Amino acid sequence: MISTIILAILALVLAPLAGALITGVDRRITAWLQSRYGPPILQPMYDVLKLLGKEPRVVNTWQALCAYVYVVGAALSVVLLFTGADLLLLFFVLTVGAVFLVMGALASPSPYSQIGGQRELLQMLAYEPLLILVFAAIATVTGSFKVSAVFELSRPLLYDIPLMYIVLGYALTIKLRKSPFDISASQHAHQELVRGVYTEYSGPFLAMIEIAHWYEVVLVLGLCGLFWSTGVVGMIVLVAVTYLAEIIVDNVTARLTWHFMLKSAIGTGVALTVVNMIWLYAQ
Amino acid sequence: MLDTLVFVTVLLPFLVAAVLLVLREQNMRKVILVATAGVLILASLAMLRGGAFILSPAASYDGLITLGDFVILFVVLFVGFKRKNQIILWLTAAQLVALFWFEFFTLKEHVPTPAFFADDLSLVMVLVVSIVGSLIAVYGIGYMREHEEHLHLPKSRQPRFFFFIVLFLGAMNGLVLANNLLWMYFFWECTTLCSFMLIGHDDTEIARKNSERALWMNVLGGTAFLFGVILLHKITGTLSLQEILARGPEFAVAGGAILAPMFLLVFAGMTKSAQAPFQSWLTGAMVAPTPVSALLHSSTMVKAGVYLIVRLAPIYAGTYFSNFVALFGAFCFLATAALAAGQSNGKKILAYSTISNLALIIACAGINTPAAITAAILLILFHAISKALLFLCVGAIEQKIGSRDIEDMRGLYSRMPRTTVVTLIGVLTMMLPPFGMLMAKWMAIESAHGQFLVMVMLALGSGLTVLFWCRWAGILLASPFGKPVPETQASSVRAPLYILATLAIFISLLSPVVYSYLVAPVVAMYYKTAPYTISFGNFDSTMGAFIIYPLFILLGLGGYFAVKQARKVTAAQIAAPYMCGEQLTVDGKAGFLGPLGQHVPATSSNYYLAQFFGEAMLSKWVNVIALAVLVIMLFGGAL
Repeated sequence: MISTIILAILALVLAPLAGALITGVDRRITAWLQSRYGPPILQPMYDVLKLLGKEPRVVNTWQALCAYVYVVGAALSVVLLFTGADLLLLFFVLTVGAVFLVMGALASPSPYSQIGGQRELLQMLAYEPLLILVFAAIATVTGSFKVSAVFELSRPLLYDIPLMYIVLGYALTIKLRKSPFDISASQHAHQELVRGVYTEYSGPFLAMIEIAHWYEVVLVLGLCGLFWSTGVVGMIVLVAVTYLAEIIVDNVTARLTWHFMLKSAIGTGVALTVVNMIWLYAQ
Repeated sequence: MLDTLVFVTVLLPFLVAAVLLVLREQNMRKVILVATAGVLILASLAMLRGGAFILSPAASYDGLITLGDFVILFVVLFVGFKRKNQIILWLTAAQLVALFWFEFFTLKEHVPTPAFFADDLSLVMVLVVSIVGSLIAVYGIGYMREHEEHLHLPKSRQPRFFFFIVLFLGAMNGLVLANNLLWMYFFWECTTLCSFMLIGHDDTEIARKNSERALWMNVLGGTAFLFGVILLHKITGTLSLQEILARGPEFAVAGGAILAPMFLLVFAGMTKSAQAPFQSWLTGAMVAPTPVSALLHSSTMVKAGVYLIVRLAPIYAGTYFSNFVALFGAFCFLATAALAAGQSNGKKILAYSTISNLALIIACAGINTPAAITAAILLILFHAISKALLFLCVGAIEQKIGSRDIEDMRGLYSRMPRTTVVTLIGVLTMMLPPFGMLMAKWMAIESAHGQFLVMVMLALGSGLTVLFWCRWAGILLASPFGKPVPETQASSVRAPLYILATLAIFISLLSPVVYSYLVAPVVAMYYKTAPYTISFGNFDSTMGAFIIYPLFILLGLGGYFAVKQARKVTAAQIAAPYMCGEQLTVDGKAGFLGPLGQHVPATSSNYYLAQFFGEAMLSKWVNVIALAVLVIMLFGGAL
């Protein structure tokens, strides 16, 4: 009980710091890929600190509410992951945050924000089923949906459900809004929708959304880490390679339409899952 | 005492209904309705305290029920004649002949069968019917007054309306308490007739058409029910549901024979619960006044169907048939969630979401593990509360803004602040943790994981569910900053909204208690093992764990913190919505600065993706596939 609470507090405090650092490294590598020098590693933190000091501006009260609930949802799902809770429960809590982010976007009459919200819903529609499938596949191997059960395995999940790792990667690219699926909002300043689902957020509320994003980065990488649960080194290598691959994909692809995203995500996801499950049952 | 309680919950509504039919005085009606609601609620709670029971009323009642059966069948036959509907005519004639033959030739030697029996499943159903149903009836008082003001009727039709509403509650209570299958058949037919009369209440062209469709589909189900009962009697030699359930394992060993009546009864349940390909009667039922939709969708009618399917689940556990029921349910869950995603009509979204959730309950019954049955019972309970709440909200909104299209509800908060918040509670309790609906869905998905295809469909379906709820909740909030206008509302409308919203949250909070005291005993009775252990109020099993109280506390604290932060926003901090620097707001309507300084209002709409989710696109295929699954289910035994 006590150790759970300590883990929870550690996750709550360390996750955003780790998320900020990873985002900083992400920016440096992206800059390097684009032959730029790039900002300091700590730039994301500087940005958020500056945003926090700004005067709050919102379209209506609901938006402020939604920004905070988004952080709460994201933080809580990280806590659930680190305390070894139920994978499906973690996913539903993550949905709380995502839902409120969209509600906040839809609470403004701005067409940019509105379309951003609608597209974000489609992104959710694409990644949510995939995540459930991945979790169910994990449960098929471990016999339980609990995260703690993964750490009782004698060999990494990657051996049993390698294709599910690809499905997870697909879902996570969409979840983190990395190109080619930065459809509802882009981290980079080159979108027709201004900032899409983020358009109406500024100042401290945007800071909240950035912090929520850090939590989500950690969550996503934590989920990847589950696939190599037997050793810390292997886990770090797997996560690092995966994130590097994400950055490269982000930089070499152009944004696709939501039609393509929806069809390819569900199509590929279900097909890979079927193949992997048949393989698993055949073993 | 027990006699009295059963009398109050089942027979009293019939008597009150008769009084309401002849009573034309408004205030008296109001008093009687509120008093009946109060008595029903208290009686259902008292019954819950008493626990399981068996009851045989005097033998003369058997004759009365038989008489009632024939009366209803002749009424339906008459409707069939009047509407010249061949399907209704032939199906009813078949039922008449079969019932006549069964009652007077087959059941010659009279074996006394207890008319009523209740276990915790029945008691949960009685609670749902008596509490949620009564609240809807009370809401009807204020709603119907305004409804008839709109219609300018020469003579009020409210006596007829409340006659059928209250009758409906009695029939539903009778149905869920019935032990003798012929009694259940009588109540089953009662609900069919009541729903037909209520759907057609406004007597417009479309109301007549839709009520007729509802009738023929439910008569088809009724026919299946009767033949199922007759067949079941032939195989088991008894009409006592309790005895059949107790001897369930014995029949399961005997194999195939029991599955034929099971198919017929489950099929009857599917028609009553408006599963594909019969979903059109429920979506058509929204032509009726809102209390009717609320009643049909939450506590009565459709819940009768899933009640029957869940009730019979232990008998067909572990058979191929059960797997097909799961598959069918999962498919309908996905398909109707997709249909809901394509709608902008608020009532239609609710209707498809109802069908989708019922399908999930059916899928749970088909998965047929202790955890899945637990999920099914909890879904019945939580869905009834939240869905009744949402229907009543949409009814109240429609009377105010004159539209049930969710696009017209943009920024509703500035016009109807209280109703908007209550609607928001309804939507959030439908789709997010830590509320009961989601917990039940969590149980459903975790127990489905052994059946891969079922799980894939559940995963896809839940994604769609989030889509259509979330955008509805979001656009309600698109209101400009400022104090919203205070809202006026009849107290008979407002009170049920507040009570249901409170129940939706409060019962979720109590879900470990609900599980321990109501669900676990009944699951243990039929399945031998308890699916979850409760520690510190959290659900735990080897499959997974749902930590309710930490979630409630943390999300509650987070929510409280968020509200506190949001409250700090002052008028000076309000910015105009982003319009690319070209904004121009006229009369509070945000828009762009157009050519020649014109104001171009910004309009936006949800993505309804008619090319994927439109009814025209999907319905046909959904029906074909559902029908195919049903046929395979029927003939699968031969393989």
